[in-house]
Amino acid sequence: MGDEYYDIEAILAENQKVQCTFKVDVPDMGHLAGGEDRDIKATSKLQIPMWMAYILIYSDYADFNIPHPFSSRVRNALNAEARSVKLTSLVGQGGMCLNDDPAVEMSNVLVKTFRARLTEIIDQAQHFASIGASTAGNSGDQGMAFREGLDGTERELFALAQWSVKMMKRWHESSETSKR
Amino acid sequence: MALPVSLRTSVIPQELELVACEQLVEIVPLVAMERTAFISGAYGPLRPPSKCKVPIWMAANLKMKKKCHIVPPEWLNVEYLQDRLTRETTEPQFSEMPFRFAEIAKVLLDVASDDFQNSDRLRSLLKDIREARQAKSREGLSKLDHSDLNLPNLCAIEINEIRPFFVRAMGVLTQLTKDPAGQQMTY
Repeated sequence: MGDEYYDIEAILAENQKVQCTFKVDVPDMGHLAGGEDRDIKATSKLQIPMWMAYILIYSDYADFNIPHPFSSRVRNALNAEARSVKLTSLVGQGGMCLNDDPAVEMSNVLVKTFRARLTEIIDQAQHFASIGASTAGNSGDQGMAFREGLDGTERELFALAQWSVKMMKRWHESSETSKR
Repeated sequence: MALPVSLRTSVIPQELELVACEQLVEIVPLVAMERTAFISGAYGPLRPPSKCKVPIWMAANLKMKKKCHIVPPEWLNVEYLQDRLTRETTEPQFSEMPFRFAEIAKVLLDVASDDFQNSDRLRSLLKDIREARQAKSREGLSKLDHSDLNLPNLCAIEINEIRPFFVRAMGVLTQLTKDPAGQQMTY
């Protein structure tokens, strides 16, 4: 319990905004809309961070639309070919999913997507192990496009794999005689 | 911890090589030496031309000074490695290899390539075996689960290579699969 409360990634993920439509009037909370209104009127649309939206929705003060990264259009694209979807533009920090019925399906999609992209990540990492900086002039277009579309966590994995392979290469090419 | 971040997740191959060099290998000494105490244990006496078992680090040292000949371990020859390679390419699971074969083979082939009949052939066989095993571990990646991972017969250096990546990937999978089952919001 304590871990999740302090988990940086969870905090950042919960800070993502969700489009909500208020069902009731809320006096004196107009500053949430960023505008000059004093109160929030019913049926007005606002961007609310997830941690606040959660309470509002469960207390039935507002409704929300599923944010774009989790829409069915994106989901269909992921189902079709997970590796060609550019995740960087969609999900800022690695969105956590919602905690009700659509969530199970959502998590299945996420897991499948993750697995499909994983092999591609490690292939690319092994291929680019020898290149120190991130400039790769002679790489194929598709490889570059995939790497630009990597989500934050995927970039971490890419860096880890690349480091392992680089260490191995360096070790294999070193020799005893050169050390003595 | 004073270690750089990259070293906290995994051991580097040079460290594994150091650990592997504690293993004993047979040598034919060319000089005589009394039974001497070292930090890891007492070895010797060296009485040429009879064989003696010493740690690999010592054998490498003596060899570099031209004071011994190294006897190849029983698994480091063409027939054995060829057989293992065919097994590796035909069976879906990893074949049995000595746990630290990569490190030992590298050190011995480096310092004592003249003590082996065809060191080039051995090097290419080892490379092929390594690549075949790498391909298998890559396939295992697609079946990655968030709970357990079972890769029998994987060797020290291979485990070390995939460890940071696999552990992180499994962590992400744990987050993704556990979320809907349990409530994460701590209010």
